[in-house]
Order: sequence, then structure tokens, then C-alpha cells
Amino acid sequence: MTSMGKGKPFLEVLSSAIHEDYRFPFLEVFAFLYGLGTFVFASFGVTITATGATNQVTATANEVVAYGAVSSILSLPLSIFIILVFKNIAYGLGSDLEKGIIQTYFSYPLRRRGILTAKLLSALGVALLLFLGIQISGLYILAPDIILPQLGTVLLTYAASLSYPLLIAGIMLLLTLKLRRGGISLVVGLVLYFAMSIVSGIATIFAIVTETPLSLQIISAISPSIVLTQYYGGTLGNFWAPAFSEVLLYTGVSYVIVAFVFVLGYTYFSRRLNL
Amino acid sequence: MKRWTNVLGRGGTVLIAISLALLLVSLIPQINLGTSAGRMPVLPEQVFATGSRVLTPQQGFQVKVTVEGTINVYLLEVGSEEPYSESMLFADAAELQEFLEANPNLIIWDYNLEDGYFERYYAPTKVMNATLVFYNPSSADAILDYEVTLTSTVAPGEKVRNIAYWAAPIGIILALPWLLNMWKQRKQS
Repeated sequence: MTSMGKGKPFLEVLSSAIHEDYRFPFLEVFAFLYGLGTFVFASFGVTITATGATNQVTATANEVVAYGAVSSILSLPLSIFIILVFKNIAYGLGSDLEKGIIQTYFSYPLRRRGILTAKLLSALGVALLLFLGIQISGLYILAPDIILPQLGTVLLTYAASLSYPLLIAGIMLLLTLKLRRGGISLVVGLVLYFAMSIVSGIATIFAIVTETPLSLQIISAISPSIVLTQYYGGTLGNFWAPAFSEVLLYTGVSYVIVAFVFVLGYTYFSRRLNL
Repeated sequence: MKRWTNVLGRGGTVLIAISLALLLVSLIPQINLGTSAGRMPVLPEQVFATGSRVLTPQQGFQVKVTVEGTINVYLLEVGSEEPYSESMLFADAAELQEFLEANPNLIIWDYNLEDGYFERYYAPTKVMNATLVFYNPSSADAILDYEVTLTSTVAPGEKVRNIAYWAAPIGIILALPWLLNMWKQRKQS
């Protein structure tokens, strides 16, 4: 079979997955919430007081404003995005496994990894495209002279903030494939997501008491938004002033971990999943 | 063909949903953060500047001015990182002219008013300092009656509304074949 020949079954699986994941009016409701949330939660004022408020801040004022603006619009919309992705992976893939739809896909002239790619493109790719497209466009409407010159900061903030949710999505994928149903993996995903705020709180207290950033550095390897918060705001204390290269390093490491979990998912789906 | 109808149709409905969100955002009323007003004589070659104020893209500047005589109105933009943001009150006309010639890129408004009424609104697209300056360039006294209102808003209402007005019809055009198709299928079943 040529690569041209594989394109059609791939599109077939992808369109079927999109149809299942985003039944009318799911996509529209999420688009509405992202649009509304982007403007309602946007804030440019908070960061101004943070600029220069502490000697830990090494970023420039414009970068801090851009970071603050992105962080403000990420607050609730990110939770909505996570709900959508978790629903798609746990229930989308889980119900396909339960109902035997994946078995039907296995009869298509398409490799297993192609089937999983199509499912993930629908569950994660479309959701990310919608989320980032609306949020970045909204920010551009609000403050083009902040967003365009600081596009690197904007993208880095999104990358750091999405890393941990993507890691949980990968873990949920593994669990859903292993258990062949989505309910438990959805619960585990939600617990892991909310557990991070508790763990990072404990790590922050530990770091402040011991005056060493080790606990925060360890957590930053899976949730680099912590090192980014310290880099742009310096709000966690005077004991840690990460350099920009450190921020990039933690973000890179976190995505290596995310990639590793997804590779495990692909390997399991391609070689070990017996239906 | 059917797949493209579906893709374009859902794209259209998403555009309609975004337009509705933008329309809703544009309906959120702006908050008045404070007004400063006054009536004062401005002597020949005298410069009067309001205090420098940090504005964000969610804040606006509403200025209403009535002039008897001749007055130049300037709105000057000075970034929050610029060194002269702390000393924006000009001592005299020479200092103002020197600043204007040296920084043409920082002039947002430059209006010459003669016995008239002036009303403008300004909302920045970045975090910046804004300073409103009145200058009497003539050799006769002028009377300045001004009202400056600082407002806070969720989003630039007109801009957001215009985007919604454009996006909604495009969304409807894209979604119409898909919606008709769906309606026909339901009728048949």
C-alpha cells in the first residue's frame, strides 16, 4: 500500500473521531467559553505592581506584562480545556475500546500507530488548535503591541502551562489502553491535575523553610510553570533566581517526559493491545 | 463533498459561537475610575499638563475640552520603561517644543483648537504612561474648560463588536449548507 493509499483510511478514522469527540454543539460551547473567558479574565494591571517589586525578577517589564496577561487568561479557560481533553481521551478512546470500534479500525489498511495518531489528533490536536487559536487571537485584539513584540514569552508561557496537563493526558491514555475503559482514567487524571496544586504548595513551603529551591526544581521538571512564575514574578522567595536558560531547560525536560509517556502509549497500542 | 460541508459547517458554527462571545463581551459596560475637571485661564505660551498616568489596554482616556481662544492639545505616550516618565510636566513652552521635536513617535494627539469643543477617547494597545498637555501658542489669553475621565473596560468594545459583526455573517454562510443538510436528514428519518 502506498502512502497515498493510506491517506484515505487515516482521514476516515480522523473524521470519525472528530465526529464522536465534538458532537454538535460541544465544539461551539467550548469556543464560546474560550472566547468569553479570554476577555473576562484578561488582566494587565496586576503585573505592573510586580515589575521591579522584587530583585528576583530578571525578565524585562514588557516580558513580565506579557507573561501576566497570558497567565490571567489561562486561569479558568485552561481548566475548561483540560476537561475537554480528558473527556476526549478517557471517554472518546475508552468507549471506542469498550464498543469495539477500535477493533473495526484495525481492519482498515492502516497501521495501528496511524489509528492512534488520528484519535489523538482529534482528542488533543483539535482541542489545542481551538484553545490556542482563540486565546492568542483574543490577546492580539486586546493588546497587539504587547503580544507581537513578546510572542516568544507568550508561546513559552503556553508551553510551560500546557506541559503538565499534556503529561496527565499521556498517563490517562496509558491507563485507558490498559484498562480498556475510560471512567477510572478520568478520575485518576482529575486527581493528578488537582494534586499538583497541593504538591506545589507543599514544595513551596518546604523551599521557603529550608531556603533551598530543590523541591521547586524537582516539580518544575514536570510542571515548568513554577520556574516560569519565579522567573517572571519572583513571588516564591529570594532564594531562587532562575535564568532564562534554566526556564528553557525545565520546559524542555518536561516535554521529554511528556513525549516518553506518549511513546509508551504508542508502543502499548501498537504491540501489546490485544482486542 | 459531504466531508467538506461538515468541516466548513462546523467551522461556521464555531465562528458564530465566537461572535456571540465577542458580542457579549462588548456589552459589558465600562467602569468610570475617576474624573478630573476644571476651568482655567491659560496665558500666552503657557503649558499645562495633567499628571502622567499608567494605562493598560483595558483602560481608556475620555477627554472633553471646550476652548475659548487658541489651545493645542497633545496626548503624549511615554512607555513605562522610558526615563522621562517621572518628569513629564513641562516647565515652559520651549521644553515642550524640544520634547515634541525630539520624540515625534510619542505624540498620540496633536490638535489645534480655536474657540471650539473637542471630545476624544483613547485606549492604548500596550501598558504605557499617558500625559495630556494643553498649550496656548497664541499671544492672547485662552480659557480652558476640560473634563478627563479614566475608564476601565473588559475589552475595546467597538473593536470587539466590529469583529463579531464580520465573523457572524461569515459563520452563517459557512454553516448554512451543513445546517440545511442536517435538517433534511432529520426530516427524512
